[in-house]
Amino acid sequence: MIHTVLSIFLALWLAALALPLGANAATVITGIVRTQSGQPLAGLALLEKGEIHNNRWDRGTLVDTAGRFRIELGEGGQYGLHVYSSGYIYKPNAVRVETGKTLEVEVVLVPEPTRANDPVIKRVEFGSSETGKGKVMIVKMEVSDPNGILGPQVLAFNAATGRAFAMAPPRWVRSLKSNYPDGVYQLDADISQSPSDPRDWHFVVADHKCNTTDILSFPHKPQPPRVIH
Amino acid sequence: MVRFIALVVIVLASAGGASAGAPAGGLAELVAEGERWWKSSPDPQDPVACSTCDPAETRGWAASFPKYRPLPPPEDRVMTLLQANAEAVQRHYRLPDAERPALAITAYLTSHGAGTPISPGIVAGQPVFEGRLRALAESVARGERLYARWCRSCHDAGAVTPAALLFPAAGNGQVESLERFLGRHRPELPRLGSDGQPSTDVIAFLMSRLAGRPVSVAPFSVAP
Repeated sequence: MIHTVLSIFLALWLAALALPLGANAATVITGIVRTQSGQPLAGLALLEKGEIHNNRWDRGTLVDTAGRFRIELGEGGQYGLHVYSSGYIYKPNAVRVETGKTLEVEVVLVPEPTRANDPVIKRVEFGSSETGKGKVMIVKMEVSDPNGILGPQVLAFNAATGRAFAMAPPRWVRSLKSNYPDGVYQLDADISQSPSDPRDWHFVVADHKCNTTDILSFPHKPQPPRVIH
Repeated sequence: MVRFIALVVIVLASAGGASAGAPAGGLAELVAEGERWWKSSPDPQDPVACSTCDPAETRGWAASFPKYRPLPPPEDRVMTLLQANAEAVQRHYRLPDAERPALAITAYLTSHGAGTPISPGIVAGQPVFEGRLRALAESVARGERLYARWCRSCHDAGAVTPAALLFPAAGNGQVESLERFLGRHRPELPRLGSDGQPSTDVIAFLMSRLAGRPVSVAPFSVAP
């Protein structure tokens, strides 16, 4: 008798817990990144909100060494999922995630056959400044491309906030399809609410032909890229 | 039926006389050439080829065109398979004249997708995006208006539509794209680039009427 009452009580309690959870379920993109032979790859997963290649960067996350990532979203809809791993050609995927649901994706990356055509991150510098709107962290990154075909994907990612940014080019560019200039790209990140630590920042650059730099993480000292065999 | 056969004859005769079409050798050789373009880059210093990034299933691609291509704005638009291939070849292989390799890759992908049901804007197993379908529907509507203005007085849409499946069309040692055929037939219809939208729209209109029919590269396998 006691067991029956306890079981009923437990079932009702679980049902009560489950209802609000279901009503407020998170909207999530999760996935696994691997090589063609199935080996997991660590890296970055960054999202554009809306149609892919619109350059409206939104959330992102680090991909762990088991190749797994999880990004919690404010709302469902269409996103451009870009996955990067050092030594591999980045992979763009248009995805749709329903509000309150989890979308699972599998991303397979192929290695860059040569690194001779990759963009190059030469240096990264952090500074700060007071503006009328508050305190900002100024991130500067010098970038070049051996073929002069840089695109808008000169990207910075703050792992502490989960936000991804396209850095501003050194001069005006006509359209997203234009070849972007070599030079110093800049990001002014609002840190008036909370300070930002350079250790949280990660950078990656891809050109119009999808040639991709290694992911540059703290201490942000660029190393010669390797071809992965 | 008679009008359709007449159109097929016109198409094949025109293809034979097209000086700028793919040179002698016919469709089979063009398909083989397209496979080579697909699988290897012409630049040994930059060996990334189409198949490097897209090694997976491509069988449904030809059937899904015309469709909205999400290129970085303002280049995003509805494209035919040939136009999408030309854009990709130009960008990735950096060739001064993209039309020939684009035509060859189009023939290869069309051959690879033979038999799959035509489904403009939709690739089996991939998500469907309303905005992209809306853009395609607008292209189809524009194409219908253009067809009414330029084509309908001579060609009934019901009779002429299946001829779109004959392309790339081979005849007299020449292979020609539908885009080039339309451009020669109606000079108001440029075939490639951002100014090729009117021809895209007409093709989108024609292909919308063929949804569900199988992709084909063998001209006479098409049921009239």
